[in-house]
Amino acid sequence: MSEYIWQLPNNRDARYADATPRKRGERLEGDRAPFTSGVSDPRGSRFNYLDYLHQIARAADLTGFDGIRIQNDHQGDEPWIIAGYLAPSTRRLKLLTEFDASRGSAVYAAKNAMSFQRFTGNRFAWQISSVEDPVVRLQLGDRAQNADLLPRIDEFLTVARGVIDQTGFNFKGRFFEVLEGGFSGPLSGHPVPTVYLSGATAEAYQLSAAQADVHVFDAQPAAQLLPLLAEVAAIAKIHQRELKFGLRIDVLARESQEEAEFDARRLAEQTDWQGSFDADGLWLGLGSAHGDAKATLVGSYEQVIERLSAYADAGIHSFLLGGAPHLEEAYRVGENLLPALRAYSQRDANVA
Amino acid sequence: MAIDFHWRLPSHGEPSTHRNREPYRGDWFFGNGQPGSHGLSSRADGFSYIDYLGEIARAAEISGFQGGLIPSFPSTDEPWAISAFLAQQTRTFRFMLAFQPGFLNPVTAARMTATLQRATGGRALFNVITGGGGPSQLWWGDSVPHDDRYTRTTEFLDVLRGVWQGGPFSYDGKFYQVQDAGLAEPLSREEFPEIYFSGSSDAALSSASKHAEYYLSWLEPFDQLREKFDRVKQRTDLLGRKIKCAVRVDVIARATEEEAWAEVRKGFERLDPAAIARLRERRGGGDSVGASRQGAARPLTINSYKDLIIEPNVWSGFSLLRGGQTNGIVGSYEQVAERLDDLVQLGADAFILASTPHLEETYRVGEEVLPLVKGHR
Repeated sequence: MSEYIWQLPNNRDARYADATPRKRGERLEGDRAPFTSGVSDPRGSRFNYLDYLHQIARAADLTGFDGIRIQNDHQGDEPWIIAGYLAPSTRRLKLLTEFDASRGSAVYAAKNAMSFQRFTGNRFAWQISSVEDPVVRLQLGDRAQNADLLPRIDEFLTVARGVIDQTGFNFKGRFFEVLEGGFSGPLSGHPVPTVYLSGATAEAYQLSAAQADVHVFDAQPAAQLLPLLAEVAAIAKIHQRELKFGLRIDVLARESQEEAEFDARRLAEQTDWQGSFDADGLWLGLGSAHGDAKATLVGSYEQVIERLSAYADAGIHSFLLGGAPHLEEAYRVGENLLPALRAYSQRDANVA
Repeated sequence: MAIDFHWRLPSHGEPSTHRNREPYRGDWFFGNGQPGSHGLSSRADGFSYIDYLGEIARAAEISGFQGGLIPSFPSTDEPWAISAFLAQQTRTFRFMLAFQPGFLNPVTAARMTATLQRATGGRALFNVITGGGGPSQLWWGDSVPHDDRYTRTTEFLDVLRGVWQGGPFSYDGKFYQVQDAGLAEPLSREEFPEIYFSGSSDAALSSASKHAEYYLSWLEPFDQLREKFDRVKQRTDLLGRKIKCAVRVDVIARATEEEAWAEVRKGFERLDPAAIARLRERRGGGDSVGASRQGAARPLTINSYKDLIIEPNVWSGFSLLRGGQTNGIVGSYEQVAERLDDLVQLGADAFILASTPHLEETYRVGEEVLPLVKGHR
């Protein structure tokens, strides 16, 4: 059965009919007072963007999403702290936390993860991604070379799994080492966080086949996606591992196609969008001003439900969905799309 | 300048009394081989240890403590997670995160800290620890030797401070290299956390002098501690900085001296003799100078709990009753307050207190002992 995970836009979000990325709920240094002097404002500096993210998380929990994805924007707040901050207010959500393997010791990350598992009833999940630009990497204190990135993720996961699942664990690699490591007592007996990896190279596919629970593909036409799914599935088969597939895609769904396309065109204009769209309503590159999805699915509720179901039929298990503004759109997608998507996803179970 | 009092969150569970190992709060202690429950009760009720820790934090802030130290060891839950989870549940509680700089990329740590400041309204502070060395260091995956670990700590804090207000900051060290690094706005506007620095060796003192607001020590015999604090302050003065000193110490305070020592006696009498023998033999662990200094003060023969009284109201057998350092203060409320004032006189500007159980005792110490502390020098 498919899972539907909603995006937490780490750094900034847009508003309806206004694509300017903003830290909603937070007044930044240098910002003009939002109201005129003729209108009272009780807020002071009591609220910040984390309060807004908190509301998105609650929206996703209330409307029945399976999880939230805490994006790792390097200019934004730190994802693990966001996850811990939001966690006590969520009951069922998987907390899919994106981060970089340059964050530090793999043992320390795994140990922190065990506290997350203990405190949430095992709802923690990892998406480990890399920074492509070596200049940006150096700004983040990471002197790894391009060729090091995927091998480092591989070692990170090997060490993390080792200390979580075993005791007397030994490992010596290029990036990490452990001697007689492994968690015991109440820190043991918890699952490794579900691992989501992405990437479109052969090396990335190999890594996912060996280490991931879910390989996440970028939004693209289904026809383009199908051969890639087959390719990764074949590699996973060689590794004798069960690998699920995910799709990171934004949605812009409205009651009618006309309304959806009106909003899409306005967003396109406001963000100087130069892409193309296809007959299935996939607008490539739309929404990238405020998020990390490579395309947005535009259409009526029925149309978007149909397109997402088609991706599910093609083999996509995890839908990492987003759309600005992410608070209001969580309610819209949760209320108008999820029930039909879940019904479709469960139909075989009902028939059988 | 008023004295800061912090409490402690027992991140590895705790017995509900000094007298017995059970009942135990938290799922660490297995008693007679039965697994402990996840929270406090034996029901499958969806609570976990974070719920009890949250209650201790709330109790400490209600009782007037600044906040609490959150320790990190191989057996504990982790401070960054605990702090983020308890952010919304607390109003004034300041989260003193114990962590080893070697375990985090300093730029990542800066982002984490700034976000925690944003999540708590500025209530994060550090207890920088640099590890005990030996096999337990390798368990963490860290093979860097003692003095190099302090070099790494110094570099880590250099980079953390360098990127904090937005940079652009570049650094080429033995352990860390960054180029044009800096926190983005508005993270860069957060207040830099206070640093409590732990470590008794020469390398530690060197690192602390450069970066710490507070030099933190366990309780040692008072003359020894005075000498240590004087040395740290002299060293820091040479660098043109003013450092403060802090003491981490457990207390058993009761309405009367007799009742306080009765807690100690009952706990001691119920111990397995093998545990006492182990304490006698263990004079130090790994490459930790602090543990060696504590071990050196203990007597060679231990027949009664009184053999471990090393100074008025100072008992050196606490590690027998619960894991951790060995020295603590025992006495009536007045006596405990007096000993704390003695420590202020010899150089302490802040305290991290604790007792068992941490929830009830934070009320007791906050209500009965803190009001009796004079505090100035």
